[in-house]
Amino acid sequence: MMKKVLTGFLLILFAVSLVMPTASFLVAVENVPNGPWADEVIFSPVTDDAQAISMLEAGDAHVYYYGLTDPELFKKVKTSPELWYALSYGIYNELTFNPVGPTFPGTGKLNPFSVPRIREAMNYLVDREYIADEICGGLAVPRWIAITPSFPDYARLIDVCKKIELQYGYDFDKAKEIVTEEMKNLGAELVDGKWYYKGEPVTIIGLIRVEDERKQIGDYFANQLEQLGFTVKRDYKTSKEASPIWLFGDPAEGKYHFYTGGWVTTSISRDESDNFAFFYTPRGLPLPLWQAYKPSSEFDEVAKKLASKDYKTWEERNRLMARALELSMKDSARVWLTNMVTAWVARKEVTQACDLAGGFYGARLWPYTLRFKDKVGGTIKIVTQADIPIDPWNPIGGSDWVYDTMIYRATFDPPLMADPYTGLYWPLEVKSAEIYVVEGTPVTSTLDWLALHSVSEIKVPTDAWYGWNATSHEIITAPEGVTAKAKVVVQFRDDLFEKKWHDGSTMSLADFIYNYIMTFDRADNASPIYDEAYVPDFEVFRSYFKGFKIISEDPLVCEFYTDNVYPDAEWIVYDVVEWFNPVGSFGPTPWHMVTIGALAEEKGLTAFTADKAKTLGVDWLNYIAGGTLKILSDMLNNAIENKYIPYKETLGKYITEDEALARYEALKAWYESKGHFWVGNGPFYLDKVDPTAHIIVIKANRNYPDKADKWMGFGEPKMPEVTVEGPATVITELGAKFTVKVTYKGEPYKTSDVEFVKYLLVDANGEVSAVGTAKAIEDGLWAVNLEAANTSALASGSTKLLVAVSSKLVSIPGVKETSFTAFSLEDYMGGKISEIRAQLEAKTSSLESSINSLETEVETLRTSLSTMNNMVMASLGVAIIAIIIAIVAVVKK
Amino acid sequence: MKREAYGFLKYSLKRGISLIVVVVIAVYITILIANMGGYVDNIIKSEVRFRIGVQVNQNPAYKGLPPREKGKLIEKLYQQEIKRLGLDTPFIFRSYKYLAQALTLDLGRALYLTSDTGSRSVKMIILERLPATVLLFTTVNLILFFISLFAGLYASRKYESKIDKLIVGLSPLSSIPGWFYGIFLIIIFASVLRVLPYGGLVDAPPPTNMLDYAISVLRHMVLPILSWLIGYAFIQTYVRRTFFLMFSSEDYVEMARAKGLPPRMIERRYILRPTLPPIMTDFALTLISSWMGAIITERVFNWPGIGTLFYMAANMFDSPVIIGEVVIYAYLLAITIFVLDIVYAIVDPRIRLGIT
Repeated sequence: MMKKVLTGFLLILFAVSLVMPTASFLVAVENVPNGPWADEVIFSPVTDDAQAISMLEAGDAHVYYYGLTDPELFKKVKTSPELWYALSYGIYNELTFNPVGPTFPGTGKLNPFSVPRIREAMNYLVDREYIADEICGGLAVPRWIAITPSFPDYARLIDVCKKIELQYGYDFDKAKEIVTEEMKNLGAELVDGKWYYKGEPVTIIGLIRVEDERKQIGDYFANQLEQLGFTVKRDYKTSKEASPIWLFGDPAEGKYHFYTGGWVTTSISRDESDNFAFFYTPRGLPLPLWQAYKPSSEFDEVAKKLASKDYKTWEERNRLMARALELSMKDSARVWLTNMVTAWVARKEVTQACDLAGGFYGARLWPYTLRFKDKVGGTIKIVTQADIPIDPWNPIGGSDWVYDTMIYRATFDPPLMADPYTGLYWPLEVKSAEIYVVEGTPVTSTLDWLALHSVSEIKVPTDAWYGWNATSHEIITAPEGVTAKAKVVVQFRDDLFEKKWHDGSTMSLADFIYNYIMTFDRADNASPIYDEAYVPDFEVFRSYFKGFKIISEDPLVCEFYTDNVYPDAEWIVYDVVEWFNPVGSFGPTPWHMVTIGALAEEKGLTAFTADKAKTLGVDWLNYIAGGTLKILSDMLNNAIENKYIPYKETLGKYITEDEALARYEALKAWYESKGHFWVGNGPFYLDKVDPTAHIIVIKANRNYPDKADKWMGFGEPKMPEVTVEGPATVITELGAKFTVKVTYKGEPYKTSDVEFVKYLLVDANGEVSAVGTAKAIEDGLWAVNLEAANTSALASGSTKLLVAVSSKLVSIPGVKETSFTAFSLEDYMGGKISEIRAQLEAKTSSLESSINSLETEVETLRTSLSTMNNMVMASLGVAIIAIIIAIVAVVKK
Repeated sequence: MKREAYGFLKYSLKRGISLIVVVVIAVYITILIANMGGYVDNIIKSEVRFRIGVQVNQNPAYKGLPPREKGKLIEKLYQQEIKRLGLDTPFIFRSYKYLAQALTLDLGRALYLTSDTGSRSVKMIILERLPATVLLFTTVNLILFFISLFAGLYASRKYESKIDKLIVGLSPLSSIPGWFYGIFLIIIFASVLRVLPYGGLVDAPPPTNMLDYAISVLRHMVLPILSWLIGYAFIQTYVRRTFFLMFSSEDYVEMARAKGLPPRMIERRYILRPTLPPIMTDFALTLISSWMGAIITERVFNWPGIGTLFYMAANMFDSPVIIGEVVIYAYLLAITIFVLDIVYAIVDPRIRLGIT
């Protein structure tokens, strides 16, 4: 009996153990909390990558907020059973050439790189695959062009980009041929394999950075140049040593010929059309090197048009982009080499979104997606390579270090959320938007939460807010006749004014209006909080701000009028809703929190910006630590005592004295409880700061209105996976059909999520012979129909079909290449006849061989038969003799 | 007596003046070196212009600006930053201002760095970092000092014994700096055994209770202290032991031994007492220098002290911070030397110059 009970118990236990993980997951999913998934996140510093990886492996930390670029450590991460990683593509390397010449005025020495054709030839001289795979240990992808392979423009222009990549593949002989020709044109001589100019060896000075992989890249390029016959002087320098030479120094002095440049971008740029003006023309930067650039007149014009957005349609823009890409390769003031792949590492039980450009810490979504995979809540430890907090936190002009912003961004909600995989924006505090642009403005919209319209003219109504009188504290409305390039009508979410600040006070319209006033007041000389450092930024804003009108107070509906137009409608909305939203670039800006800082600045006790603090000779305002906390506390007490309402003439209509008092009391209680004045409205609140130990703790805000799973779909980038199926042989006169399968983790990729599927045909000579678009058949299935017209011009031989899938969900296109053999009908028939003949000949030969073999076999058989015959005859003889002997014997008896 | 006092005063004054002159020269040389004779201005200016240019070009808010407007904005922001950094005044004038500020201990404001609590005041930046450095390096130097003193004395007493041979044998350990052992200690105790932290000042999250906080800080001090003990304890003991051995063979010590005085008394009165001034000098200078931290050790153990600050300041060309650190060190050193000179003069009449 006991045995049965025990067996039953064990069976139940076994069954429970089987379903336990599922059960706990179900419980977890059912109990989705408000706010973030994790209860607490702790940030602390580490000294280096190796220490961080060691801590992650040991479980002493969960996520590393610092990009890993060390190939050896990356190998360790890849093989570790404890860790996973995501990749970002925000760093890129290139060779910057000194364009002055043909001789340097400073030295009289020859500068071969003054010749665009020689610079262009350098594209053939460098093997980008080698640099990416060998020098960068696989933590890089080759890059040929001025736009980033992981950003949307590359996908849009994939055909042009691929064509250039094929055209400028590694070809040492071609580079040598061009360089030889051009060097002779310059008057140089090749003696015993070395280039000489006016009797002296042509010496190339390479300014090579030593801090990272650029040292090896510089050495590799120097070796290649030496193989061409140049004498190369390798000038190894750190950033600080090199910058006075290549940045500040006059390139005419001839102190360098090339520099191993590197660039960083921390967010996805959806419009890289100004890259050409920036990287190749004097309009890029007011520095001597840029001023020495001499692009061709056509390239200069195209780059200028793109930078000034001087085009009417999207198609025109893309045509200009395509031309600029081609011309930039001809110019090659820079030769692009690689896009570095940065690995972001975490333990396997933890997951979070990773921005394709900015990595873990650059993803605005990290606080909303960071979680343990198998449980809700818990403490997640994040380590980083910085002594956080680096600079003071204040919401008007505080720290903009990424190591600070990555943390304080968790404490407030942006009105729109940046998609880490496309750079587009999704609504968070906004419900919907209508955008009106003047006809002929090239704007497109992608997402369905907004609607785009074209109108002939946009007039700003005279009751729209247009400015601020810093003396009378009154709002100025728009004068007659003001027009704008775009009008945005934004409907905010219905429960916006039910949302709580971390100190318990409720968001209100006053927060928006206070921010409107601050935008203008700080730039007005008549204001006690005037800040000279803020003026340049304000002037830019003023140049495109055309008006603001509140249509409905609750739910909040506003109209924004602007001249600042982006190619993506989502970006236009993002720009305008940021203007007066009570969260800014530097933190949350509830009016009562900012007011106490403003009061302190008015009294000259502290200042929001570092510049003004220096001018006043006071401390930079810090809301989370240090001596200014006492000042803020005093200001808060004054405000409570006086029931202070800032800008009472205007804000008095939106804030009562009791409301003001309630807010101040809430803030005071918050300060007494937490020891700081940082009050946000995001999924986390700032719990503790230890500035000496450089540790920051943030905790879950469970009063947050949204559930933690709101952004679950953004956990990982849905990169399209592409396979191509089709015939191995194609008759060019007949065309062919190929099937393209687009999937993600084995599931069909929705047609509605695909921007386009493009294909390129590259013939046996390496020339792009056709470019086209595939047709959608069903979700995940596309057809490439190569009509005879497309294939008829193909050279016979091995042909490549390159298919690129551009997704709306991720900016990196999925690319797949397949090969087939192309034949013209004549070649094909000739080939077929030859084949049949060859087959017949083979068969004849085989027949002959068979006959011969048969003959041999018959001969063998004949020989055998003859042998057998002889044997039979012999046997017969023996038998006869035996019979005779027997007869004789019988007879004798 | 009066003449003696006059001589002493004269001696003190001369020493004081010469030290002040040395400090002024040293500080000014530091100012020149920290700014590379003004060349740092070029570096900073080029970096500022480049940084602002790239920021404006990459800022989505400015994407719609025409190139000309962008150029104007970059120039305005550049001029503003140059003004903030004080680079709108020629270096030579600034160098005198730096010197005047330094000598009056008005250390001014940092160009880039902020204190842990967010202040740009150099004084605050240094003062906030100083306790961590003092805590770690004064502790380790005190431990090293007493270990070497007593172990050195013991080894000199037990000359040629096994312990003495062990100390002599292990003294080459100091050929490798302490921080190098630190790396191995981190691997062993933090990464593999997981009994001690990798580095930092305190656990994350920091304990709320003061006692727990103090215990946590002590745990974080174990490995850096151990690394220095391995690196420097044996060589310092060896040096002291040799020092004591030399004094042990002095005639007056031999005389004391011949007189049959007890070894303890000989040690205390005839060896330790005459060697005290140089030992105290060594001790005082070691303490002062320990307040400057140790750059690499602090980096290895992520210890938020003065050494790390100096590294960061040098890396960022934050001259006021570099100058501030050097000025404080120079003052402390000068005062210590001055006090030691006075003490010597009091203790040893031969030193009092001017007295016949």
